[in-house]
Amino acid sequence: MVLEVHVWGPAFGLASIDAECLATVAYLKQTTTPTSNLPQAANKYDYRLIQSSPSAVPTNRLPALHDPSNNTWISGYSSIISHLKSTALPSPTEKYHEHSARKQADSTAYIAFLSAHAAPLVALSLYVSSANWAATTRPAYSAILPFPLPWVEPPAIRAAMSERAAHLGLSSLDTDAEAEKIEAAETASAAAGWVQVPASIKQKTRQKTIKESMTPEQKSRIVLEGVTTDVLDVLAAVDWDEQTVELRCLAFAYLALMLVPPVPRSFLSEVIGRKEFWGLCEFVDVVRSSMGQPSLLYWETPSTRARLISEGKKTESPSSNTAVALTARFAHGLVHDIPLIGQEWRRWWAQRRVRQQQQSKAHIALATVGGVVFVAANVGLFYLYKGLLPFGAPVQSWRAPVTLGLSGFGAAGALFSFPEL
Amino acid sequence: MLTVNTPPAWRTPRMPPVPRLLQRLFDSVPLVTYEANELPARAQVSSDAELPTLYVFASEEDARLGAPSFNPSCLKWQTFLKISNLKFTLRPSTNHASPTGSLPFLLPPPPSSPSAKRNPIPASKLYDYALTTNNNSTKSVHPVPSLRQEAYQSLIDLPLRNAFLYTLYLSPEHTALLDRLYIQPASSSDLVQLALRHQLIRAAEAEILKSTHATSGGAAFAGGVVDSDAIYREARDALEALASLLAQSETGWFFNEKEPGLFDASVFGYTYLIGEFFDHHDEGDRSLGRMVRQTGNRGLVRHRDKLFGMLWPDLLVGRRK
Repeated sequence: MVLEVHVWGPAFGLASIDAECLATVAYLKQTTTPTSNLPQAANKYDYRLIQSSPSAVPTNRLPALHDPSNNTWISGYSSIISHLKSTALPSPTEKYHEHSARKQADSTAYIAFLSAHAAPLVALSLYVSSANWAATTRPAYSAILPFPLPWVEPPAIRAAMSERAAHLGLSSLDTDAEAEKIEAAETASAAAGWVQVPASIKQKTRQKTIKESMTPEQKSRIVLEGVTTDVLDVLAAVDWDEQTVELRCLAFAYLALMLVPPVPRSFLSEVIGRKEFWGLCEFVDVVRSSMGQPSLLYWETPSTRARLISEGKKTESPSSNTAVALTARFAHGLVHDIPLIGQEWRRWWAQRRVRQQQQSKAHIALATVGGVVFVAANVGLFYLYKGLLPFGAPVQSWRAPVTLGLSGFGAAGALFSFPEL
Repeated sequence: MLTVNTPPAWRTPRMPPVPRLLQRLFDSVPLVTYEANELPARAQVSSDAELPTLYVFASEEDARLGAPSFNPSCLKWQTFLKISNLKFTLRPSTNHASPTGSLPFLLPPPPSSPSAKRNPIPASKLYDYALTTNNNSTKSVHPVPSLRQEAYQSLIDLPLRNAFLYTLYLSPEHTALLDRLYIQPASSSDLVQLALRHQLIRAAEAEILKSTHATSGGAAFAGGVVDSDAIYREARDALEALASLLAQSETGWFFNEKEPGLFDASVFGYTYLIGEFFDHHDEGDRSLGRMVRQTGNRGLVRHRDKLFGMLWPDLLVGRRK
């Protein structure tokens, strides 16, 4: 059996939009050699890449490695690497295996450093910055997620990534959130009864100041450069040719995601492009060219999948992109967005899913039932709402009572009217 | 006759005679004026105003003795200040008291001129403070941390911290310890304790997920499910890497330094507390205490004991008894 490796799909000319997934692909590509004596074309390689999203795998996390022979799921870069090393699968090239204790310790340390410090930088550039998110990252997600999911999953990812970079204190790059904040402050001051300058006067009377015409990236440029060079200085001091494969792959993944995506506010690639970091650029180029085109990797296509299923080598799994599974995933995304209940629902569901890893059949049945019930409930609610009597007439009109004579003048008329005798 | 009728000298004629009954009572219960009570022990701390005060998580007695704090980050800075030979007093506190929202922080001694401000120093600036206030009595100036040191520092901040958080907050064996350290000192009301425990556990969980699911918003999908096997495996790898780093050094301190430095303090912050709290349960593979003892030929244990003996010699004597 071949190993199934579930990863986020390709983007920006890289094999994956996500750093750990990209690193996993690079690791497999560099350590695996094709086993040539197998007859079937689909079995020629020891692993197969499957484009996926965390909502499709039982561990709720990508990259995920599925071993169909014993139906185990392993997710996360370091877990996958240690699993691959312990099982000695797939056939690794020997030269990477013997490392001194010092090199092994360095490898562990720099891997931790990358996840602690490089991940927030990538999050800033691709997710927090509104301009980059709208122009580059969101379209990339739309391209790799099947149809209804781009509506629910990318915003959740963006929120989580903003959280990841929150400690850097650069949330001002997220202009959407900033605009919301300003709006909230304005409504609050209006509610408190402060005199407001009308928007029409505010806009026209004066030209924009320099500060106002700057983008948020330009405003916080000094801070951005500071946090970026802090991280890159550490990475530039490493001799990458001498490091372990797993570290090289992870470093490549993070640096490539800083350098490659065509973002409009390219503060990261500008800093890496400087002379002192040329070594890093070169390193990225070398690894990238050794990986080749992402489309030439061993992706699972619908045709190979159909053939494998028909040959009985693979069973339909919840990661399939069937309409039912997609609807269930979409419904989950929707439920998660409901305030208060959403978080608890997600928690309950994720824990249940981890428990049920072994029984994927029961799982898909449950997902189907859940999705159908949710959709049915929504449809039912909609018709119930339509069927209700309208709350009052759609058009309300008030008429003043028509009165004749002096009493029509109210108090003034009453003055002139004669008291009844 | 005459001598018999003479009243005693104290019985002045103007005073009415004390009734016999009362006199007997007062004779059997003599009035004694005790000396004034001593001030409570903690009052000495606040009177010791010329010393800076470090606010940490600790119990009252531990703070009075200057014993190690039970919070890794507080212990790190406490150790570092002790290494830098800076004299300071310790006060127990909570996050609510801190200007940054987290402990530790240091309140410098009141300045000589009354107009100058007395600003608290958060943990992020303690290193610079220790450097600038170094006078002649203190040891050599600490060097700027090297780039390689920063990489190794993230081993402590990420895998080791996650494993510590998981063990203390999320693993059910240590709920009693969590209650004793963080929850019972905060409130005696069961209801408040329940809410606080829930909050702390959720916060720890979110913190772990945020850093383990580093990329692509994995935390958004995780739903609070923490992969504990991965956390303990990464912690073991981290401890092995640290032990191997220590073995490369010839002086017994990290990075070949002649004197212990900030990095030694941050490692000690975890290894000491792991030894104190998590070494008594027999949890097999998941015992952090066992990991510290077994990795790298007991190098981390020797490092811990050496530093403890150097900084808390009086406590070491007390413990040996």
